[in-house]
Amino acid sequence: MSLPFHPHDGDPVPPALRGFARAHADLVELHESPAHLVARHRHPDRRVGLVSGGGSGHEPLHGGFLGRGMLDAVAPGKVFASPHNRQVLEASRAAAGPGGVVHVVKNYTGDRINFGIAAERLRMDGVEVRRVLVDDDLATESAETATGRRGTGATVVVEKILGGAADAGLGLDELAELGSAVAGASRSLAVASRAQTSMHTGEPSFDLRPDELEYGVGIHGERAQRSITRPATEELVEQMLGELVDALPGDGDQVITVVNGLGGATLLELYGLHELVAEGLERRGLATAGQLVGTLVPALDMTGFSISLTRTPAAWLPWWNAPATTPALTIDRQEATP
Amino acid sequence: MTFDQEAVLRAYATAAEHGHARLTALDQRSGDGDFGDNLRGGLREAVARFDAGSGETAFGALGAVFLDEVGGTSGPLLGLLFTEIGHALAAGDDPVAAFGAGARAGLDAIQRVGEAQVGDRTLVDALAPAVEALPGGFAAGARAAAEGARQTAELRARMGRASYVGDRAMGEPDPGAVGIALLFRAAAEVAEPDAELPTVL
Repeated sequence: MSLPFHPHDGDPVPPALRGFARAHADLVELHESPAHLVARHRHPDRRVGLVSGGGSGHEPLHGGFLGRGMLDAVAPGKVFASPHNRQVLEASRAAAGPGGVVHVVKNYTGDRINFGIAAERLRMDGVEVRRVLVDDDLATESAETATGRRGTGATVVVEKILGGAADAGLGLDELAELGSAVAGASRSLAVASRAQTSMHTGEPSFDLRPDELEYGVGIHGERAQRSITRPATEELVEQMLGELVDALPGDGDQVITVVNGLGGATLLELYGLHELVAEGLERRGLATAGQLVGTLVPALDMTGFSISLTRTPAAWLPWWNAPATTPALTIDRQEATP
Repeated sequence: MTFDQEAVLRAYATAAEHGHARLTALDQRSGDGDFGDNLRGGLREAVARFDAGSGETAFGALGAVFLDEVGGTSGPLLGLLFTEIGHALAAGDDPVAAFGAGARAGLDAIQRVGEAQVGDRTLVDALAPAVEALPGGFAAGARAAAEGARQTAELRARMGRASYVGDRAMGEPDPGAVGIALLFRAAAEVAEPDAELPTVL
């Protein structure tokens, strides 16, 4: 095994943030102390700023989704660690619109506390804040009842729909309610055949045999509840889809799908998986109303993928399809503009 | 009655210097052992910031340092409390009422963020009874905070780091609750110097 190609001295996040801001200087601006990224452009009708953030190591999340149509500012923590409340505070101050700020928070204790402290500080400043908690990971539904499901791949769906809705001029409470509804209608499941490489040892963070899969793995290298004997890929997708569809609240027949690479999956694999997902949903009477395929919420270089499903009413689709211009996702569907 | 914020800050800082070893030992039983360092370090920095003429009130400096600079989870949570007390003291004339209103706003903020209830073995177990008792004066608040902190020794943690070690943290008080008791004792020492005050550590 070998070490990743980070600069040799210390924390890999600051140089990556500088490189990211340099590469996308037309779209984002980096503030280094405390570290936060701010979008340069926003829709003139947007009244409420959208802010997210969390540990690094999940790129393009969240900075990759900064820009017109999606997020206004983000707070990147160290690798797999929550950002400090000051980062969230400054990101929120930069992003706040006349209608306030919505925080999109993945459900992890550290993120909840640091976004929560920032929200209290914003309230003291007179800025109105609402939180949308993303908790889509089906694998943690029963295992950790006290802490709830983790937030994973559906975060992108929440951020995209909220971005479209914010650009349509929705207010603070409407956005908070919408974001919670999208998160509540979303479930995800992830599998891995190889853990991410430790930045310190160059070795996988946990060991799996070649015939094993980690089923229900997290995005920080948390091991799953179980390892399974690796089935054929068609069977694996069928099993994942079956569990996801069974767990998906509501009864509409349209879903948004995200087939997401965990860092070490090729697009050749992900598009093939997407085809299996779409076929499997069709057999179950579900129509794919929206879709994303790519490495969107990885766990460093973990070899694996996740499937996210969001059961969507027709009312959300104009926001899902609305234009967005961000480093990682550009959507320009003329006919779908609301 | 006048209320000398600066004297409270200095008394609190002195208490954290004396209590450092004991707070560290308590936190080593249940957490990562940094609470003594965080409290003492934050108070030292707040005093330095105030002495350097930051233009803030003593509680303003205290709140800013704990929110921005102090590590761990409890540091910024204490920062919310100090900041709310600072705001309330700046806004109100009667120190008991203002300190009480600030402490209540701080308690509310801490509970919104940390979601801890009374009985979970956190700093809330000292802060909530102190807020209830404070209308009776600073000494009453200090006694309630000290008693609340003492009683955490009998509680099993549900929230925070200590929840990971279960029964093993029991028998000794929660260091965060003790840190709150030291604040209320410092306030009472300054505001009601003739009152009889409990020993916290």
